[in-house]
Order: sequence, then structure tokens, then C-alpha cells
Amino acid sequence: MTPFSRILRTDWFGPLIIVILAVVVIRAFSPQFLSPLNIQVLLLAIAVNALIAYAQMMIIAIGQMNLSVGAIGGLAAISFAGMMEVWGIPAPLAAALALLIGLLCGFVNGVMIAVTGISAFVITLATLAIYKGINLGITEAQPFYGIPANVKAFGNGSLFNLIPLIALPTLVAAVGLWFLLFRLPAGRFILAVGGNEHAAQLSGIKVGRTITLAHAISGFLAAGAGILVVARVQVGQPSIGDDWLILSFAAPVIGGAILTGGHVSVAATTLGVVIVALITQALVLFNIDPFLVQVVMGGLILVAVGINRLRETRMQALKRSV
Amino acid sequence: MDVTPIFEAKNIVKTFPGVRALKGVSLSLLPGSVHALLGENGAGKSTLIKVITGVHRQTSGQLLLNGEEVSFGSTHDAVAKGIGVVHQERNLIPRFSVAENIHLEQLANSWLRPVNYTALNQSARRWLEELNLDIDPAMPVSDLSVAQMQLVEIAKALSLQSRVLLLDEPTASLTSSEAANLFTILRRLRDNGASLVFVSHKLEEVVEICDRVTVLRDGDNATESRPMAGLGRQDLVQMMIGRAESGGTWRKRDSAAQPVVLQLKDLATSVGHKDISMNVRKGEIVGLYGLVGAGRSELAKAIMGRFRVTSGTVEVAGQTARITSVADAIHKYRLGYVSEDRKTEGLILPHSVLANAGVPIWRKLSGFLGGLRDSTVRRAVSPYLEKLEVKTPSLAQTVGNLSGGNQQKISVAKWLAAGVQLLIVDEPSVGIDIKTKAYLHDLLRELADSGTSVIVISSDMPEIIALADRIVVMNDYRIQGEVANIGTYDTMSQAIMGLIHRDPHRAQVA
Repeated sequence: MTPFSRILRTDWFGPLIIVILAVVVIRAFSPQFLSPLNIQVLLLAIAVNALIAYAQMMIIAIGQMNLSVGAIGGLAAISFAGMMEVWGIPAPLAAALALLIGLLCGFVNGVMIAVTGISAFVITLATLAIYKGINLGITEAQPFYGIPANVKAFGNGSLFNLIPLIALPTLVAAVGLWFLLFRLPAGRFILAVGGNEHAAQLSGIKVGRTITLAHAISGFLAAGAGILVVARVQVGQPSIGDDWLILSFAAPVIGGAILTGGHVSVAATTLGVVIVALITQALVLFNIDPFLVQVVMGGLILVAVGINRLRETRMQALKRSV
Repeated sequence: MDVTPIFEAKNIVKTFPGVRALKGVSLSLLPGSVHALLGENGAGKSTLIKVITGVHRQTSGQLLLNGEEVSFGSTHDAVAKGIGVVHQERNLIPRFSVAENIHLEQLANSWLRPVNYTALNQSARRWLEELNLDIDPAMPVSDLSVAQMQLVEIAKALSLQSRVLLLDEPTASLTSSEAANLFTILRRLRDNGASLVFVSHKLEEVVEICDRVTVLRDGDNATESRPMAGLGRQDLVQMMIGRAESGGTWRKRDSAAQPVVLQLKDLATSVGHKDISMNVRKGEIVGLYGLVGAGRSELAKAIMGRFRVTSGTVEVAGQTARITSVADAIHKYRLGYVSEDRKTEGLILPHSVLANAGVPIWRKLSGFLGGLRDSTVRRAVSPYLEKLEVKTPSLAQTVGNLSGGNQQKISVAKWLAAGVQLLIVDEPSVGIDIKTKAYLHDLLRELADSGTSVIVISSDMPEIIALADRIVVMNDYRIQGEVANIGTYDTMSQAIMGLIHRDPHRAQVA
């Protein structure tokens, strides 16, 4: 195989081409598209959305789905804001505790799925309601407004007036997840269980623990996204996370993830997030009703799944012809 | 015998709630030997394998490794003691590299030590060389052929220092040259002192490669660890079923004068068939032989309207037929297909016998407003269920609770009730014991005698030779040729293998 055809076969190549094309096209129509301010706005959206997408990606990797990503993110977000406002806990500690809450929520999901063998869809559907319910019980649907100045500064700050500070945790998460999934046995177990659970088990991998680990990481990442949203919008809204579900699946799928498990790509998922952000931006720049974003995202999922399917069947045909 | 056994199972009893699967079975394996483990379905073969590999723990009895008693609480324990197994279904992670698959077991010990892929590849190369397998260890397993995947699994077992290696139906999906290559490797492993256990339904292969044999029957030893020398295929069958093979022999049938029921001309399909031409006459049994992956089931499904025909013509009873859906095939052209995978494609397991047998004729029987009455369906299907001697307490019985043989009878019965003129039967004897198989063969012959045309798809050469009037050989989604069956195994098997390897470019080498 030549190096070039190797690149063609990677998951990130297709999305990258789309990103470059989209940037070129949008720039041609709208000169202010690549202004530092606009880039910053784009990166803000990408930073939060990437964490949401990673949270789902970890579960797609084991061949399951997590409907409670948004509920966990929302619960962590209001916990973070509430702990600072009501109890006056310093921001770093509140963030750490909120992350812990997310980790715990995911852990509970994972343990229930691993122990009972009930499908992740059903379990996370139930915990979606429970976590969201706890959120509403605590907030009584009222936002927390008392966000400390240092959190606001973090949410507004940027490096070189270009890269928002809240993109930094996302960057760390991306590198960390790549290392986990492709270099550490723990991550390999997650992909192995997703690829062929029975074979993984026969090779001595502890399937239950692996499933629990993936869900705990997913909860942790969702909580991280929730905290970043609070820092960005500077309010602890109880509704944070309500609209994450479609995006969380869209980005990994655009990035070529296989929903039956065993194959995900951090880079391609990130590019998936970028594509969604670019299209959202384009709709705004072209004065198209932003409410149409959902329609576009749904269409994108269908196109991406179609392309993945095509790639798969072509690969099989190719294999047979050699 | 002065060689001491490397592994022994003594008086193994295994009970499940309500069933005594093993009633005191023994087995002893010698180093440097290939040991056949035979038995019909339900004889306890797979239970014994599961006990030996640590999936189940025996209820009583001993496992001895080099004379010392061992106890396996999990598959991991068995592996650690050097008991390797290559299962019938592939147990590899498709997107992982060959090297990582081989070493997954070793990686499973730690969660956080980074994986060193360079070292992994290097170590994998050694095991691949041992098996003469010239593939890049960094290649994903999903890019390999089935035969290569199987060798990777053997490499995986070897890398774990397996002293005993169980191979469960290793040749089920291999071409004959791939199987021959596998046997060469197995013989070399044997000569290097490995103790191999070979489980197979293909008795010809067992006779060829094994030097010792254990036969199980109804959870007991029919024979325990005796040398293979002097035993032939018939002796093995006799030990397995407790008597000589009865019925099920080929007889000459002549349908040359009958009209052609199905004619395919230069057919190509959306799944990749090319230049498919063949015909089936009224009352004829045509065997469609080929290896797993040759495209036989896919061809059957294309005929049934499940896959699209892209060029060429299909004629049913002399008329050009455009079959675009399975409903068309059944109702308009009276074709039936008994799937090889009766559990997922052939039957609706949680439904009753009556519902399953009636599915294809519901449309025909439905009356006012499409209403359907049980009594109507019962009247239509009962004669066929009786004729096939389906053993069921009642027609309301859930099909999933019946034996494999009875399930197969129901999947045939439903097509008889539908009054098909051509029945395609895909791998009819998978998962059925020898007695039921002979019975099923008689049934298909009777069916053909009464005027129904039958296409039998099988990878089991003795079965095809016992059944078919004419054998069409497929390979790689093409027809390689056809031969009239004369019923003698040696001549026919050579003719068939000759056809499979007719085009040297297509002969695959693992």
C-alpha cells in the first residue's frame, strides 16, 4: 500500500477535505469569516462541542450509546455553579467536584449496564430522566447567576486574542483520549470490547470493567463540557445539555465512527465538530434562520452514515476482488 | 503405550439443571499427536471442550496436566496452564492489527502500561514465521482472508505457550488447498511435540490427519483415546451413532426427459455474480457445491428476489421471470428457500409451530378483509407436518423449544404447504445429527420423486454426492462447471475438486 492510499483510507482525510472546502467557500462569500474575532467565536463553539462529542464517542467505541450525556453535563454544570454561588466553594474545587459528579453518573450507568446486561439505550434513557430530574429538583428550574469573576475571566479569556482559554481543556482531553485509545491497554480494551465482545472476553479482558470504565470517562467528559458552558455563558442554566444529543452523535458519525463499536477516531470526530460549527456559522453569515441548524445537522448525519456505508461495501468488494 | 499423556480428563461428569450432559467421560492426550474428538450434536463434545478450556467447571471428575490435577475456574486459568483453543467462530478484533490480536491475552494483564507496538510486531513476526504465514503483523485483521485469520488464531494460541491446542471445526470455511496447508502446519506442530485435538464433522479429514480418536455418544465414551490405525469412515460413523449408517444412499434418478423448471442464462447480480448459467428440471435434485463464500446462498437469494439481478435472464417453467421481491418468488413463481441459518433467517423462534409453518401461505389463505383463522392454517399445514413427522407436543408449541432436526423439518414443511415447484435447500444438515440427516435426505428424494425440483446447497461433499443427480460447482461467485453424479465418492470428489481449481488464477493459497 502506498503512503497516499494509506492516507485515503484514514477516517480524518474525508472530513479534512470537507473542512478545507467549507473554509474556502465561506471565505469567498464573506471576507470577515476569517477575522480573529470570528475565529475565536468558532473555536469557542468547537471547544465545548468537541467534549460533548468525545463523551458520546467513548460509548460508541464500545458499541453502545449514551442518551444521558446531556443530562450528566447539565447536572455537573448546575452543581458547579450552585456550589460556587450557594456554598462559596472556590472555582477550582467546585470544578473538580463537578467533574467527580459526572464521573460518578457515568460510573453508575456503566455498572448497571455491565451487571444487568440490559441495553445501554434503556439504562441511559432511564438515567437521563433521573439526572435531569435531580437537576430540576436542585434548581427548581431557576438559573444560578453568582458566577465568580475568575470563572468569567477564564470564559472570556484568550491566548493572543485568538485561541479561547476554554479550548485548552478540550485540547488536553483530545490528546489524552488519543493516547488512551491507541496507546494504553485500557483504551485498547474499550475498542476490543466494541469490536468483538466475545473474543475480548476469551482473551482475558474483563468486559464488565471495561464497559464501566468507558461510561465513567464519558460522564467525566460530559461534566467537563457542562463546566465549560457555565464558564462561557456565565450563568448556571438548568437547561444546559438539553440540546446535546443530536450533536453528540453527529460528530463521531461524520468522523467515520462505526455505531456497532470497535472503531472511532479522535481526530475525525474533532473534524466532525468543526464541520458542524462551520455550517452553523455559514447559516448565520448568510442570514439563514439559525433554527434550521437542526435540519442541517440531521441531514449531515444521514449523508455521513451513507458515506460510511458506501465505504464499507466498497472495501468488502475490493477485498473479494483481490 | 510408553508415552505418558500430557493431558487427561478422567470420569468427567457435567450436569446442567435437568440434563446430564456428560456422564463420566474420559480422554487422554499424548504429546506429538493429533487426537480426533467425534460425536453427534448433543453427544457432549462441546460440553467436554468447554470443561477442558475452563468455560464450565465439571460437576465431578478430574483434569490432569502432566499427571497433576488442575482446576480451571475461568478460560484464563486454562490458557495460563497451556490449554489453547481455536473456536469455530472467529475470535479476533477486526480493526486491530495482527500483532495486537496475537498478543491481546498478554496485554489484558495491565490497564495502564503503554503498548509498545514495535515490540509487539517483532514478537508476532516470529509466530507468523512459524506458521509460514507471510503477512505484515501491523495489518488489520479485517483485511485478511478467512484462512489467514484462522492461522492468526493458531499463532495466538501458540504464542501463549500452548501445550494442548483444541481446534473446533477448523476447516469449516476453508477451501481444500487452504485446508491442506493447515494440515501441513498441524503435522509440523505435531512433529514438534504439540498435542492437538481436532474436532470435525468431516470424517474424511479426521481419517486423514488424526492418529488417535475419542468418540462420544449420549454423554458417554463410545470409544476412549484409541489409535486411529485400522479405522475407516464407516467404523467412526458406527461408533458415533451406535449402528451402521442406514438409508441415505445415492440412487440413480433420471429426469433428462422432464421439462426445465428453472433456467438461468448469463446471470449477473448486484452482489457480484457473473456469467451464471444453469438449469433445473422437474423432479431433479441439483447439488450446488462450493466452499463457504463461493456465493451459493447469495445466488439462491438472488433467484428468490432478495438481491437484484443486473443482467441475464431467469426463466421459470419456460417463461421469462422478473422476480423483484421474495413475495413474487413465492406467490407468483412458486419458489421456496430453506435458509442455512434457520435460527435467524428461516424460523421465528419465539412463535408457535403453526405460525411458522403458515407464514408463506397466510396471504393465500386470508379471507374477508385479510382475516386469518387458525383452523384454516391448521388444515393447510397439518398434513405436511405429519408427513415429515415433526415431533411436537402441539402446534402451539414455541419453535425455539424444539430440537434442531425438528426445526429443520418445520422449515421444509412450510414450503411444502406453500406448494412450491422448486425448493432451494441451503446447507440442510448443519446442526443436525446423522440419523436425522439420513432421514432428511430420504425426504428430499421423495419430494423430488413427487415432482418438486430441488436445489441442494452444501459444503459437505459426501452429502452432495449422496443426494444430487447433477452437481454444479461454484467458486468466487461464478459457475466453475457441472458434472453428472454417479454416486461414487472417490471419482466424484476428484471431479468436483478438479472443477473448483480449474482456473489456476483463482486457486487461492493461504
